[in-house]
Amino acid sequence: MTTKTAKRADVRAADAASRPSLADLQAEFQRAVLDGDEQILARLPANSRTTPDVLFGVYRNAYLGRLVEVARHEYPVLAAYLGDEIFNAELAAYYRAHPSRSPNARWAAYGLPDYLATAAIGADHPEVADLARLERALADAFDATDAPTLDLPALVEIAGASWDTLVFEPNPSAQLLELSSNAFAIWQAIKAETESPAAAKLGESQALFIWRQENSSRVRVMGSEEAMLWTEAVRGTTFGRLGELAATFDSLDAALRVAGYLKGWIETAALAAARQDASP
Amino acid sequence: MSVAVAKAKSNAARDVRARPHNLGFGLGLRPQHYRDILDNDPKVDWFEAISENYMVPGGQPLRMLEQIRERYPIVLHGVSMSIASTAPFEANYLKDLKSLADRFEPEFVSDHLCWTGVHGINLHDLLPVPYTREALDHVVARVQHVQDALQRPLALENVSSYVQYTHSEMSEWQFLSEMAQRTGCWLVLDVNNVFVSAFNHDFDAQEFLDGIPADRVVQFHLAGHEHATTHIIDTHDAMVCEEVWTLYRAAVERFGRVATIIERDDDIPPYDDLVAELSKARSMAEQVLAAPRKQAALS
Repeated sequence: MTTKTAKRADVRAADAASRPSLADLQAEFQRAVLDGDEQILARLPANSRTTPDVLFGVYRNAYLGRLVEVARHEYPVLAAYLGDEIFNAELAAYYRAHPSRSPNARWAAYGLPDYLATAAIGADHPEVADLARLERALADAFDATDAPTLDLPALVEIAGASWDTLVFEPNPSAQLLELSSNAFAIWQAIKAETESPAAAKLGESQALFIWRQENSSRVRVMGSEEAMLWTEAVRGTTFGRLGELAATFDSLDAALRVAGYLKGWIETAALAAARQDASP
Repeated sequence: MSVAVAKAKSNAARDVRARPHNLGFGLGLRPQHYRDILDNDPKVDWFEAISENYMVPGGQPLRMLEQIRERYPIVLHGVSMSIASTAPFEANYLKDLKSLADRFEPEFVSDHLCWTGVHGINLHDLLPVPYTREALDHVVARVQHVQDALQRPLALENVSSYVQYTHSEMSEWQFLSEMAQRTGCWLVLDVNNVFVSAFNHDFDAQEFLDGIPADRVVQFHLAGHEHATTHIIDTHDAMVCEEVWTLYRAAVERFGRVATIIERDDDIPPYDDLVAELSKARSMAEQVLAAPRKQAALS
């Protein structure tokens, strides 16, 4: 190799080294946003007024700020309960551990309830993760798949003379949530802008029923018997068997109570369909 | 003929590469305004809906969009296609976007010339591309893939950027032009973004406009921004400023009659305020178009 050729090769090598591949550049850029890595700054020209680190700072500042703002809309009561300082700090820690992997920024904080349950704040304050679980369930109900609503005349027609063998299909938005703290009472107080009760762990967990009706997410407390029967109904247990199960709670008026629960589910659009059980 | 039938017929015979119709003067669709739109049937020609807001299993947003689509044309405008990323497309993104487009029959589908993350992560920002040959070849291949997947006209928008790269080999407008010419994709020209990037990178906004092929631009965006003295941040939280209106006049002179929207993402004002701002765009465009134009001389 002549000296001239070697020099040209050196220039090409130096040029290639200063020109990262697109993949390497994007990896560097992402590290700079997520971890504060500074390598990218050498590849960015200043403008006539300021330096590359100030300009790149727009991306760094926007990243967490944007995601925390979106999370504040998804978890508004949790944000009000914690206050800005703690909410922002918890969310920053969450996103450091769990950067978004979803095309929709709304779902970037989907794992927040589970994170809070295991984070330091969750150990002393179980109501914090419970509030997050409640708000995530309400958001899930809001986005759930559309389904027809089962009304009473349709149910009567499907039942015919065989009510005992009816099985039910829940509205896809319906879900049951078990909370071990008084998070629901706190949630209600914050929504109503009244004084929140002191946080407390409940002796017995509280069942909340969450569903969507007329385009809005709803929540109500469900008693233990109704919650047990709803869980069975969702599994495909027949209406007749639901009556038998209710009788194990209290045999007096069991059938009447189950009929009352069913009426409530119909009236609140919590059921999508019913059919006669085809299993032997 | 019902709206739905008319919609289906008008789309059935469309060539996916044919130039989209000029939809007139519209607004970015925001949930805060659903009731204003549905209760009052305001005189807005069309709406641009953020695709990802409607890529959900069900619920109110889809019902609202259904009702609005029955009355108005729409465009689906995304923020997470990440066309310039070196990462593979997110597993279900294009499939979900195609389902959404097949359901709502937009005039076209758009997103941004940018990337949003790599290694499976989404930074939820419209990140700048290096204007290199390598990046151009990569983007061209991805645009062709998306056009094949969606089977609909695709338009890409210039983003506001805060940094550029020392190893870029061409200008942003050269990159956009060659991308559009090689793929046949369309361009959404965000006039505010041109203004923001021109300030941030010390280039002449008019040179940008002059460098974009006049026949590829199918939509203008107008929006507000925040001036941070040494740079401008594209916030979409304010009214369109005078300098951007001036640049809009220049854009209409250059590109002629092009569909236009006001885009507002934060500090969302009452609906009527946006309609009033849109009227300003309409009058300004009509005034420019009524005068002898540079555009006519160019074409």
